[in-house]
Amino acid sequence: MIAGITTSMIRTDVVIIGGGATGCGIARDLALRGIAHYLVEKDDFAAGATGACHGLLHSGGRYVVTDPVAAKECIEENMILRTIGQKCVEVTGGLFVRLPGDSKRFRDRFLKSCEEVGIPTEVLSPTRALDLVPSLNPVLEEAIKVPDCSIDPFRLCMLNAFTSRQKGGGILTHHKVIEIVKERGRCVGVKAQDQFTKQIKEIRARVIINATGAWGAKVAALSGSDVPMTLSKGSLVITNHRLTNMVINRLRPPSDGDIIVPNEAVCLAGTTSITVDDPDAIEVLSREVDIVVGEAERMIPTFRTTRMIRAYTGVRPLLKADGGDSRAISRGFKIINHDNGMYSILGGKLTTYRLMAEKMVDAIMRDFGLDTPCQTAEKPLDGQDELSGYPLSKRLKDISGVICECELVSRDEVERVINRIGTKYIGDIQHRTRLGMGPCQGGFCTYRALGIMHDMGRVTSEESMRVLREFLQRRFKGIRPALWGDQLREEQLVESIYLGILSMEKDA
Amino acid sequence: MSVIDYDAVVIGGGMSGLMAGIHLLEQGYTVAVVSRGDPAVCLSTGCIDVCGTGMDPLAGVDALPDEHPYHVTGKEKIRAALDKFSDIMTDVRLPYAGRAEENRAIITPLGTTKLTCLVPRTMETAPRKPDEYIHVVSFNGLKDFYPSYITARRKNTGFSLFDAGVTTTMGIAARFEDRAFLKEFIAWLKGLEIPDGKLAFPAVMGLEHPLSIMQEIQSQVERWGFEIPTLPPSLPGIRLFKGLKRSFQGKGGDVYWGSPIASVERSGKHIEAVTIETKGRSTRVNGRAFILATGSFVSGGLFALRDEIQETVFGLSVASPGPRDDWFNRDFFTPGHAVERAGIRVGKDFRPSEDSLENLFVCGSIISGSEVMKYGCGHGLALTTGLAAAESCAEVLK
Amino acid sequence: MKFEHCIRCTICVENCPVFRVNPAFPGPKQSGPDAQRFRLDGEKSVDQWVQLCIQCKRCEVACPYGVDPAEIILKAQIKYAGEHLRGPANYLFANNYYLGALGSLASPIANRIAATDFAKRTFNLMGISTYMPFPRFNLMSMNKGRRKVGKGVRKVVFFYGCFLNFNRPDVGRTIRELLVSLGLEVVLPHQVCCGLPALGNGDIELARRFASKNAAILAEYINKGYDVIYGCTSCGLTLAHDYPGILNVAGGKKVAENSYNVSEYILKLIDEGAINPTFGPVETRVAYHIPCHLRAIGIGYPAARLFAKIPGLSFDVMDDHCCGLSGSYGFKRKNQATALAIGNQAAALIKESGAQVLAADCGACRMQLAHLAGLTALDPSEIMMASLRKGASTP
Repeated sequence: MIAGITTSMIRTDVVIIGGGATGCGIARDLALRGIAHYLVEKDDFAAGATGACHGLLHSGGRYVVTDPVAAKECIEENMILRTIGQKCVEVTGGLFVRLPGDSKRFRDRFLKSCEEVGIPTEVLSPTRALDLVPSLNPVLEEAIKVPDCSIDPFRLCMLNAFTSRQKGGGILTHHKVIEIVKERGRCVGVKAQDQFTKQIKEIRARVIINATGAWGAKVAALSGSDVPMTLSKGSLVITNHRLTNMVINRLRPPSDGDIIVPNEAVCLAGTTSITVDDPDAIEVLSREVDIVVGEAERMIPTFRTTRMIRAYTGVRPLLKADGGDSRAISRGFKIINHDNGMYSILGGKLTTYRLMAEKMVDAIMRDFGLDTPCQTAEKPLDGQDELSGYPLSKRLKDISGVICECELVSRDEVERVINRIGTKYIGDIQHRTRLGMGPCQGGFCTYRALGIMHDMGRVTSEESMRVLREFLQRRFKGIRPALWGDQLREEQLVESIYLGILSMEKDA
Repeated sequence: MSVIDYDAVVIGGGMSGLMAGIHLLEQGYTVAVVSRGDPAVCLSTGCIDVCGTGMDPLAGVDALPDEHPYHVTGKEKIRAALDKFSDIMTDVRLPYAGRAEENRAIITPLGTTKLTCLVPRTMETAPRKPDEYIHVVSFNGLKDFYPSYITARRKNTGFSLFDAGVTTTMGIAARFEDRAFLKEFIAWLKGLEIPDGKLAFPAVMGLEHPLSIMQEIQSQVERWGFEIPTLPPSLPGIRLFKGLKRSFQGKGGDVYWGSPIASVERSGKHIEAVTIETKGRSTRVNGRAFILATGSFVSGGLFALRDEIQETVFGLSVASPGPRDDWFNRDFFTPGHAVERAGIRVGKDFRPSEDSLENLFVCGSIISGSEVMKYGCGHGLALTTGLAAAESCAEVLK
Repeated sequence: MKFEHCIRCTICVENCPVFRVNPAFPGPKQSGPDAQRFRLDGEKSVDQWVQLCIQCKRCEVACPYGVDPAEIILKAQIKYAGEHLRGPANYLFANNYYLGALGSLASPIANRIAATDFAKRTFNLMGISTYMPFPRFNLMSMNKGRRKVGKGVRKVVFFYGCFLNFNRPDVGRTIRELLVSLGLEVVLPHQVCCGLPALGNGDIELARRFASKNAAILAEYINKGYDVIYGCTSCGLTLAHDYPGILNVAGGKKVAENSYNVSEYILKLIDEGAINPTFGPVETRVAYHIPCHLRAIGIGYPAARLFAKIPGLSFDVMDDHCCGLSGSYGFKRKNQATALAIGNQAAALIKESGAQVLAADCGACRMQLAHLAGLTALDPSEIMMASLRKGASTP
C-alpha cells in the first residue's frame, strides 16, 4: 500500500480525538449508552497530561481553599473511582503537613473549607503523623489526614478503553488527526494517519469531540475554531523506590513542589508551573528538578539523597484567564459547542475525568435526542480481573519468567500484550505492563521485549532498529535531567550496552 | 586495626589494576589488590577493544585528540601490553587471538557488527565475510539472547534452539560444565540438518573452559563454531576477569575484596596507607607505592553529585566537564558526552598532574580524556596504561 | 537505603552459586534490591523463594556499590520464617548446638544410629538430605578439655565453634596446640553456638540469645586483655559482622573488634615481631579453598600468606567457588541437588589442580569438598602445625 493515501473509510456516530483520561472516559460512557464511536489518539493512551501528572486521586484538599467547586467535584469523584476502579486505585490516604513557618491561618481556613465541602479530615499530632509516615520531617507542626489516593493513569485509560472495545467502539492509537473534514461548513469527519505505516483512514461521524487537552487549540484550529486556553507546564521527578506509603501534601496555598505521591513502586514528586506556548516543545530543566527535590526534601528529608530515576513534564490545559499566576486559574472544566458539529472539552483534571465525560456525553445525547442515563458512576471498570492490584508486595509471590526485573513483568505478560494489540511499539508494552518503568528505565528489558517481538515475527530488522532507536531517544530525554549519582552510573552502563556491546549507531 | 605491609598497593581489581599488579609481581615486588567489588570487565564482551574508529587500531590511535592517554603511552606500549596480555591468558588457559595492527568485526546479539581487536579463541572463527552462512544455535527461552535479531539482519543465516531446561546465560553455562549435558547437546546438534557453514553460539559455552568445550563440539560435529558475546551477565567478561585474577594470585599477589576504603593516610606528598572497612575491625594496608585503577563512573572511581564530580578514594582533583546541564548531549546516539571526558589528568609518568603526590600512579578509564565509549578503546587502554603506570611505579620502588 | 545504589549491573548474579544451578532461585539482584522495592512495611511476606538463598555472601563481596543483597535477603528470610510454619529440619538445624551437645554426649550410640538405613529414612522424612554421611559426633568434645593451657606474652580466648567442638575436636585441639606452641596462653571458656545456624534457619530470637551469652563471656575476657580467636570462618563472620549488626547484642562491637582468624592472628604476631616461628618443610601440593565467609570478612587470605612461608609447600588459592554446603543448607533435602551441583563445580577445579590435599578454614567446606573431591581436607592450622613440628626438629 502506498503511504499517505486514504485507504479506508469508516462511518460512526461520534469521533473522539485524544486518548487521555477524558477521551477514554467519554468512549466508555458512550459505549455504555450504546452510541457507536471511534477514538483517535496520535500516540498511546495517557500520552499527554494524563500520563504526566502525579497519579493523585485528589481528595479535594488541594483546591478546597482556592476553588471549593472543584474540590467538591474531587471528593465526590474520589469516592466513586475508588469503588469502581479497585485495581487501579490504591487507597493510600493522604496527609497535609504543616511545617514551621507555614501559616496557621491557612490551616484554619483549610479545615473550615473541608468541612463545608464535605472532605473528611483528621488532625494528627507530629507523633501520630510520624507513626504513619516515619520518613516525614520530624520538625512538622501537625498533619491533617485526608482521603487522597494514588491512581495509575495508564491503567485507568486502558480500562476505560476496554469497555469501549468490548461494546464495539473503535480505538485507534498511534493515529494522528491530520485533517478535520468539513462539508458545507460543518465538521463531518476526520482523517487520521497511522504513525507507523503512514496510511490514512477517513472516519465520518455526526459529532466530533476534541478531548486533546493541551493540544485543544491546535486541533480546534484544524476546523477553523478557536478555543481560549492557557498552557502551564508542570515538571515532576520519580524516585527509585517509595519513601512514603501515603500521599504527602504541604499545608499551604498551592505552590511549587508540594505534593509527593506513592505510585506503584516509586514516588512521584512535583510540580512546577511555567506558562508555555507549544505543548510539543517542552522539556524538563535541571533548575526545575532542583526546585522540586528541594521542596520535597522539606517534607521528607531523605529526598535529598534519594536516587531519582527520571523527570518528566506535562502541560496542564487550563481555561484562559487574564494574566496572573496560572495556579490561580480554576481547575474546573468547560464544554464548548463550536456549533459546527464539533465540541471541545477543556480544563479539568484526572480526578474528575469521569464527571467530565458524563457531562460531555449528556450533551451529545441531547443532540441525538436520546435519554439513556449515564452508568459510569455505578458500574465497576471492566477488565480489572487480570491486574494484580494492591498491596504491591503480593506481586512477589510468583516471579518466574520475569523479563523486566525492576517491575516484575513476565515474558507471558509481554507476549499476551503483543498478541492482543499487535503493537510494534515498546512504549505500548510499557504502558500496559509497566515494563521498563523501574530504575533502569528499560535498559535491560527493552532488548528482551523487542527480541520477543522478533521471535514472534512481529517486526522486521529495520522496524526493530527504528523502534529501538526511538525508544532510547525518548528514554534518554526523560532521564537526562536526573543524571547524577547512581542514576548517572546506571545510564553509563546502559550506554555501554547499547552503544558498546550492541554497537548501535545513530543511523543504520 | 590489623596492619599489613606491601611494596605496592593497587586499588581497583579490574583490567588495568590487575595488569599493573601482575607486572609488579613479576618485578619481584609484593603486591596487594584492594577492590570494592568485581570490576566492570565482568560486564564486557571479553574482547579487547584497542581503538574502534577504523580497521587499523594503531592508525586510529594517531587520530585521537592530543589529550588522549594513548598519546602518553605511545603505540609501542600498546603492542607490549597486548603481547603481555596474550601471554597471561595463554598461561591461564583462556587464550586470545588477534594482533594490534588489525581490528575485526564481530557479530553482536543485535545482529549488528562491532569492531574489536583481540578476541577470546572461542570467538576466533567468526566469519569475516558478510555472506558466509552461519547457523545460530541458541536455547529455548534464553532471556538475554534472541537469534532472530541476527537472522533478520544478516543474510544467509538460520537458527535452531536447544532445550537446556534453564533460561539464563549463567544457568546454561553451568550446565555445560556437566559432561552428560555436553554429550546430549552434541548428539542433538548432530541430528540437525543445516546448510554448510559455521555454528554461532551465544557466549554460554561453559564457565571455566569454553575452548575445550568448543573444540569438542567442533571435532564431533565437524563444523567450526564461535561464540557471540551477550548482554551482562557476560561469560566472556567473567572468564577474562577470573583469568587475570588467577594469574595475579598465582604469581603470589594478595587480594582484599569487597570492602570499601574508609580512609587514606598521607604524609605530605606521600601516601602511607589505605584503611579498608573489613568486617568487625578495619584493616590498614601499608604500601610504598599506590596505583589507582578504580575506573570511571560505572566502576565507582568517579562519582557525580548534583553539582560536582568527585574522585572517590583520594579526593584527587577532577578535570571537570562543566555544569550539570552540559554533561550529556541531547541526543543519546551522538558519541561522546562531555561527562565522559571527566577524570584525573596525568603526567608522562602517570602521576596525577594536579595533585602533587610522589607515590601514586593512575591508570585505566579514570584518566581524563579517555572517552572509551566514543573511541572504542576500553580494555586496550586499561591494559596499556596499567602496564605503563606499573613501570613508573617500579621506578619508585627500586 | 543501600538497595537504591543498585545499577542492575548483574555482577552479583554472576557470582551467585545458587542462581547458576537452581532456576527456582531468581538470584541476588531480583531477590535483593529489585524485590525490595515491593516489600512494604506491614504486609505479610509471600516471597517463599528467598529461602533458596545459601547466604554465602558472594554477592556482597562482588557488588561494587555496597548494596549488600545477601543482607536484604537474610532479612526477608527471617521475616518469611517468622510469619510461616517452619519445617522440622529448620527447627533441628536452628538448634544445632543442642543437637550437637546431645549427639556428642550420646555419640557411641548416636553415630551408630545415624548410620542406619532407618535413620536415613527418618532424616529424609524430616527433610534432611543423606547424600553425605551425617557428621559424626565425638564424645571428647572441646568443651570437655582443660579450660586454660599455655603461658605467654599474649592471651587469647579460643572460640572453637560447634563443628570443632562436637564433631572434630581433634582439629580443635590442633589449633589449640598450634597457639600454645607459638607461646600463647589459650583459654577455652564455656561458650555456646555462635548463632549462625539459628539465623540461617530464620530464628533470630534464638540467634540473639546465643549471641548475647557469648558476647557477655567474650567481652569479659577482652576487658582483661584477651583477644578472641575463632576456629571457623563462619563463626568468625557472625562474631565480626552479625553481633554488632543484625543481632545487635550488648558487647557485640567489642567482640567484633577483637576477634581474629587463626592465621590472621599468627601473621599479626609475626608482623609485630612478637614471635618468630621456624617453618619446616612440608612437601605437598595444596588446593586452598577459600570459604565464602572468609572472603566476606574481607581480611584477605591470611593462611595463604603463611603457606607462602612454608618451604616445599605449593598451593593454589581457590576463591571463585562456594562449596555448596553452607552449614545446614546442604543438609536440607530440598537443597540437596543445589548443594551437590555447586559443590561439584568447586570439586572439579580442585581435582584439576593436581592437589594432593585440600585445605579450608571452615569445617563444613572441608566435609563437603573432601566428600566430593575425594581428598583429605585439612584446616590450615594442621598444615602449619606440621610445618612447625618439622621446623622445631630441624635446627
